[in-house]
Amino acid sequence: MSDGPINIRALTAGTRVVLVSGAEAEIVSNPNDGVWIFARYVSAPDAPALVGQEEMIFAQDVADVRQ
Amino acid sequence: MATNGMSGYRSGLVDLATGQISREIFVNDEIYAQEQERVFARSWLFVGHESQIANPGDFFVSRMGEESVILCRDRAGEVHVFLNSCRHRGMKVCRYDDGNTTVFTCPYHGWSFGTDGALVGVPYFREAYHSELDKTKWGLVEVAQLARYKGTVWANWDSSAPPFLEYLGEFRRFLDLILDGWDGREGQAELLGGVQKWLIPCNWKFPAENFSGDSYHNISHRSVDLVGVGPSGKSRRDYGELNVARKLHVAIPDRGHQTITYLLPKDHLPQPSYQNNPEVAAYFRHCEEERRKRPGPNTRLIGAPGEIFPNVALLPRQPRTLAVWHPKNAHQTEVWRFFFVDRDAPQTVKNFLRDYYIRYSGPAGMTEQDDMENWNYAHAASRGVIARRHPYTYEMGLGHAVEDYEYEGYRVPGRVIDITQIQSSEEPMRNLYGRWAQFMEADSWDELMTWRRNTPHAGIAAK
Repeated sequence: MSDGPINIRALTAGTRVVLVSGAEAEIVSNPNDGVWIFARYVSAPDAPALVGQEEMIFAQDVADVRQ
Repeated sequence: MATNGMSGYRSGLVDLATGQISREIFVNDEIYAQEQERVFARSWLFVGHESQIANPGDFFVSRMGEESVILCRDRAGEVHVFLNSCRHRGMKVCRYDDGNTTVFTCPYHGWSFGTDGALVGVPYFREAYHSELDKTKWGLVEVAQLARYKGTVWANWDSSAPPFLEYLGEFRRFLDLILDGWDGREGQAELLGGVQKWLIPCNWKFPAENFSGDSYHNISHRSVDLVGVGPSGKSRRDYGELNVARKLHVAIPDRGHQTITYLLPKDHLPQPSYQNNPEVAAYFRHCEEERRKRPGPNTRLIGAPGEIFPNVALLPRQPRTLAVWHPKNAHQTEVWRFFFVDRDAPQTVKNFLRDYYIRYSGPAGMTEQDDMENWNYAHAASRGVIARRHPYTYEMGLGHAVEDYEYEGYRVPGRVIDITQIQSSEEPMRNLYGRWAQFMEADSWDELMTWRRNTPHAGIAAK
């Protein structure tokens, strides 16, 4: 978990992020509005059906960035 | 016509039988509020030009009446006009003048909309809304009708309004004068540079009236004529052709559009123009020669100031611009001026025209400054309780218009007054305010489409 809020505008396509739900997603594109990113789920322990799906991810749902 | 103590609009404030119009229609806050609903929410309004949104995702934030709208091209290439207001709590979803985007995201709570207007992002949709919100019901509000005409984009909030070209009626040929190429080819206009925007402390109808065809106020521009800002270094325009043409006031009575226009004699040859630059002069001479070879109604017409009801002003020739008088409140107007050139013109010509346009029009343009000063002080001097008791007169040329005007085989549509010798009339203004009063009084478009009832002068004009 990151120490503070993450500036999602700085995240580029291909970056993997960890969500507050514990799911992990890979960024597909970034509209650079600071509010949303388009990402594809690579894991989702609470909702396995999401894996492989592309969704808009809300900035406050992003808990960390995979290094 | 004492009107103090009145509240909103009432029949009789526009009295076309006597040619008198109450100052209340310009300065009364309640009338202003009523005309937002009855005029601007029902009329076709100019939104922008397709060249401003050439690529998918391009957007241009425009206005319709007081309201901010987004003109955009979605990812599939379709053109839309949306109300720039989030469906959740109303915040503007776009606060830029123009750009390219994949989504319009509200900065308040984060709702996000695609360029097709669909609601695509709702924070905590699964958690807080329990996936129960029907996103399909909460997309951006889209205009009821949209029309694209020779590159221009127009929109209307009223689904019962007639199609745009029917709304234009016979006035279409005068709009073509600005949108077609100088050589007569269809739809060759492109925007030059950005849009100039500024505020004037006056009611929007002052500039609308002026551009309807006020040929009486030329004395205001005497200093500009003396300076010689024109493209040949004399006066403010080239007058070679204008001086041999018939100068006409043309009013389309059942539509509310009107203009000054010049009608050339048959077989007239081009006159020298744009003499400040030989290359530019040669370009326009070539275009004029090409134009005369083309069939159609416009080959003998020269455009001049005109107005498409309610708030779009045309200046098709020198300079070639289109202005929108956006109402801000009863006492303030936001002007947006768009400048046009031929798409295929050499860069030298475009640069020359840019310099000329800036000298003439816009907040720093010398001619436009003259006009703004008049509208500013006329409005301010009409707001007082004593001033409001005294109407303006629009009697000039009352009863002198004809409906079958013809000159050397060219029949001009609408009601016409030939002002070549008499200098001026106020037929265009009477036409504007007659139509305005019809809008203020009619409850539906059925009442406003007088031409469909085959009674072109029904309504206020007959009262």
